[in-house]
Amino acid sequence: MNPPSAENIYLPRVAVLDRVEDNIPDVKTFYWRFENPADQRAFRGFHPGQFVQVTIAGVGEFPASLPPSPTEDQIFFTIRQVGGCTAALHRLRPGDKIAVRGPYGNGFPMEQYQGKNLVFVAGGIGLIPLRSCIVYAIAHRSNYGRIAIFHGAKTPKELMYRDVLAACQQTPGVECHLTVDRGDNGWEGNVGVVSSLFKKPGVAMPVENTVAFVCGPPVMFRFVIRDLLAMGLTERDIISTLERYMKCGVGKCGHCCIGVAYICVDGPVFTYEQIKRLGEDI
Amino acid sequence: MKARILDSVDVLKIVDLLSEQGYEVVAPFHREGQDSYFDVVTPANRHAVRIHLPNPLYPPKRFIFPHIERLMTFRQVNGDLQIQATHEEPRRAIFGIRSCDLAGIGHLDRYFLGREFRDTYYEKRRRHALLINVVCSDPQRDVGDDCFCVCADTGPAAREHFDLQLMDLGRGEFMAVAGSPAGQALFQSPIFRKAKPAHVERRRAILAEVRKRFKTHTSWFSAAVRYLSQDKVTERTWEEIGNRCMECGGCTYVCPACTCFTVSDRPIGDGQTERVRIWDSCALAGFTRMAGGFNPRRAVHDRRNRRFFRKLAHYFVQRELSMACVGCGRCVTVCHGNIGMPSVVEMLRRTTAGVQEHEPAIR
Ligand SMILES: Cc1cc2nc3c(=O)[nH]c(=O)nc-3n(C[C@H](O)[C@H](O)[C@H](O)COP(=O)(O)OP(=O)(O)OC[C@H]3O[C@@H](n4cnc5c(N)ncnc54)[C@H](O)[C@@H]3O)c2cc1C
Ligand code: SF4
Ligand code: FES
Repeated sequence: MNPPSAENIYLPRVAVLDRVEDNIPDVKTFYWRFENPADQRAFRGFHPGQFVQVTIAGVGEFPASLPPSPTEDQIFFTIRQVGGCTAALHRLRPGDKIAVRGPYGNGFPMEQYQGKNLVFVAGGIGLIPLRSCIVYAIAHRSNYGRIAIFHGAKTPKELMYRDVLAACQQTPGVECHLTVDRGDNGWEGNVGVVSSLFKKPGVAMPVENTVAFVCGPPVMFRFVIRDLLAMGLTERDIISTLERYMKCGVGKCGHCCIGVAYICVDGPVFTYEQIKRLGEDI
Repeated sequence: MKARILDSVDVLKIVDLLSEQGYEVVAPFHREGQDSYFDVVTPANRHAVRIHLPNPLYPPKRFIFPHIERLMTFRQVNGDLQIQATHEEPRRAIFGIRSCDLAGIGHLDRYFLGREFRDTYYEKRRRHALLINVVCSDPQRDVGDDCFCVCADTGPAAREHFDLQLMDLGRGEFMAVAGSPAGQALFQSPIFRKAKPAHVERRRAILAEVRKRFKTHTSWFSAAVRYLSQDKVTERTWEEIGNRCMECGGCTYVCPACTCFTVSDRPIGDGQTERVRIWDSCALAGFTRMAGGFNPRRAVHDRRNRRFFRKLAHYFVQRELSMACVGCGRCVTVCHGNIGMPSVVEMLRRTTAGVQEHEPAIR
């Protein structure tokens, strides 16, 4: 047995909502901080790709990715309203209290990827967990080679984090491409699935010495993987996050267990090689 | 491990000793037939505690990992949120726990207290729990039709995890073996006397006899562990197993080695809510459902597959130092589809043996 610990792994700490921002329909970003400054300081060491367990008192607890990079000052999450907890969160206002525990999970191995080109492919709210890596990579710009970001959504209104992506585009050696399934009146950009961007004229997609971060709905994932493999990336160069029903986040409740992995502690970040070995659908 | 001898008529005095030391003692009771159960010992029922009886269907696991357990409460007052962790650290002794169930607790220890995080609530209940093991020494009364601890290497006599082990040696005598300082401290009572070599010899003879008297079930795990870990089990076999599962979840609720739970928040009046954890079952359809209705383990056979894979895969056996099956046979008793552990092991073994593969080529 490990030595006894004082820490209660299930006990969340109280946090205050500072600001709520509308993103796309049904999706809002919630800026928050722990009520106790010591909790806030302890939390700063999180890694891109980790997640937290969020409590809405009286309703329940759910897992949420951490879209901020540890290099940023503010902490927040971006949440789509789908059911009980997320709808309750959407009803909260600045000043309201929530409770948070974490950070949990392995996160993306950003340090291991130093010296590599980075490709980010995000469909819809798949950009939420990747935002952290993108901002982190740009904050450590000199550690990485070229950076190419591809983001697709159903309609222009559903493109995520437009301000962050616009800022990326101003950074030397970083390119950012957007696409939508259906345009609207003002849309002059690409129309088509996200992988249709890879071979467009004017797009310089790195392939050698490259890691591709891919997050999005299962259909998108399958097509993007197929194209990336065809372009010459290996299964080990493709990395993603698995979202599974989670109840505890700390490897005890058993809900997230697939194959030989507990997604909450062994993941949620896995290479495509590992995902295939787990023998599950994305 | 130190051994002592006591008279059969004094065995229940151990229950009294523990009560005097401030333990809440739970012990097995017998109604009739197969109807037996664990309950808290009181002055009123103390005389009815049984040593030889069918092992209760509802395992004593719940005294350390309760079916429903409150984790914390939430109270919102004037815009403030107060969270109160609710621990219980009972000083509790489980008297009469069988070797299989003890191995189950050993498994739970490694699971809940191992890896990155230690389960706070389990730890608190476990820390003060005293485990008094009773060896199944009577093939008639102790060993059930569905027992197969011999195959799981957990019984009939546990080798670890107990504080005190009791075994009926016949002729009005019991042997007590101390497995921890707390267990050994009990030997200060005058009911215990020194053991002689003849006692050890009798213990050995009885165990050798009991091992031979196990009933219908055998479970040849090692072939199943190997086929399953090497991904050699055919889809058809899994489907066959899945087709027999009625998704009642019974096997998981009676299993001394199952650990899954769900978490739920509910109002308790006075503007407060509580968060509880409740045993959950991977056999139930909602277990893995996610936002958008996407369920990565949709087919029944995928879920069955999950239970047996999780219990037997070499990867987990290596990590937890044991299979997550202790051979208690309870899932055999409760399963209407006859896919308790031994029959699944048999199905995996038979259908996967791939006869030709193992036959010598004569050319
Ligand atoms: C590691 C991880 C990171 C995540 N990050 C984000 C994020 O950054 N932003 C975001 O909007 N969503 C994220 N999710 C999904 C989010 O956790 C679920 O949408 C949320 O739990 C739904 O809770 P609810 O009470 O609102 O829905 P419920 O009323 O409980 O149910 C609505 C639907 O959501 C499903 N669901 C319920 N609980 C979970 C759960 N714990 N995990 C997955 N599905 C669930 C239900 O089966 C049902 O289909 C993440 C999930 C995981 C596992
Ligand atoms: S799987 Fe069946 S036989 Fe094995 S410990 Fe669990 S209930 Fe007992
Ligand atoms: S979420 Fe509970 S074990 Fe992973």
